Amino acid sequence: MEKALGQYISRYADLTNEELNLILPRIEVREVPKRHLLVQTGEQEQYLNLVSKGVLRKYFFKGREEIITQLAKEGDLISSSVSFLSGQPSQYAIEALEPTIVYSLSRENLEQLYALSPRIERLGRIVITDLYLQKEKWEQDHIQFDIRQRFVNFVHNNADLIQRVPQKYIASYLNIKPETFSRLKHLLKKSPLIATLS
Amino acid sequence: MQHLEQETYWTLLREFLQRFINLSEEEFNQWKPYFELRQFNKKKILVHKDEIDDYVNIVAQGLVRKYMKVKKGDVTLQIAPEGHMIHSERSFHMRQPSEVVVETIEPTILISISYKNLNALYDKYPLAETLGRLFATEMYIIKDRRFFEILKKSTREIFLDYMKTHPQMLQRVPQKYIASYLNIKPETFSRLKHLLKTKV
Repeated sequence: MEKALGQYISRYADLTNEELNLILPRIEVREVPKRHLLVQTGEQEQYLNLVSKGVLRKYFFKGREEIITQLAKEGDLISSSVSFLSGQPSQYAIEALEPTIVYSLSRENLEQLYALSPRIERLGRIVITDLYLQKEKWEQDHIQFDIRQRFVNFVHNNADLIQRVPQKYIASYLNIKPETFSRLKHLLKKSPLIATLS
Repeated sequence: MQHLEQETYWTLLREFLQRFINLSEEEFNQWKPYFELRQFNKKKILVHKDEIDDYVNIVAQGLVRKYMKVKKGDVTLQIAPEGHMIHSERSFHMRQPSEVVVETIEPTILISISYKNLNALYDKYPLAETLGRLFATEMYIIKDRRFFEILKKSTREIFLDYMKTHPQMLQRVPQKYIASYLNIKPETFSRLKHLLKTKV
């Protein structure tokens, strides 16, 4: 756990061992069976989670349709973060697509850490800013790239997820109709890029 | 800028910061030199595409627009009046070329802090760190809320709610920018305007 957590944190801040030792005892290790929900819509999110093992999807309901906004794998942070930060009921649900292990930090523990160390508060500021910037990117990608380009970008950056996540979920994440997705995948087989896929 | 006006802008900054943290007069005076007042004509581009944005700005007076250039035409992402913050977020924070353009609509005065000064402020004052965290949190929550509002509301509701919460915008902002921001076709926007005459 120490290593995975240290690696994640070092992407954002350079904490001392002392500071890391403040964080470690406050982390809970949670196992989530496949198909189980980590958080449901309407519930208040209690945790920030770092994925140690497995894959999860985060989604909301538009009418009866599920729309996926995040697919998280090892080393990714996942949480119904707006609910976590605001205390409001979650608009999102998070489901494990594989047997999953997450390292979780509760809101109470996070507040304690902020009070104990300004440098951990800085880490918090940077992580939250990053969440914001990711959302900004997701929106701008939808404005600036067409379906085909979004598909190619995703395949390029997430070859492993194509193997692990059902196609319909990837299509939902990219906001592409399942039929279109199949067609795009077929097209890629003719290009060298598919070599990295299969 | 006259001295008297400058004082008004600093008061505005103080009130802005005060929404997030409790800042004493003394602390505020220590922080003030990190900020600068910047004045621009209308239709002046503050951040070009592919430029690295070096400032976070609060609009003290005027109106600023953020947009993205795509094949179909510009897509307006934000219209910031007095008291609102505007910058090319991903460019500023990640120090990378901007994907968006930031441009004034009216003659504008901004209260700005540079990337360098912001980080110096974070380094020197732990309270600034709290401010940064709370501010990022609010931005993130507002962004998510807007996303769901647009998703759940009808075009008509989106239009009426915006006009209700931003009554002066229709006078100040070219219609096509508001339509683009609300993701409403210009023709539809013109048609919806009739609703205002009967409602107001």
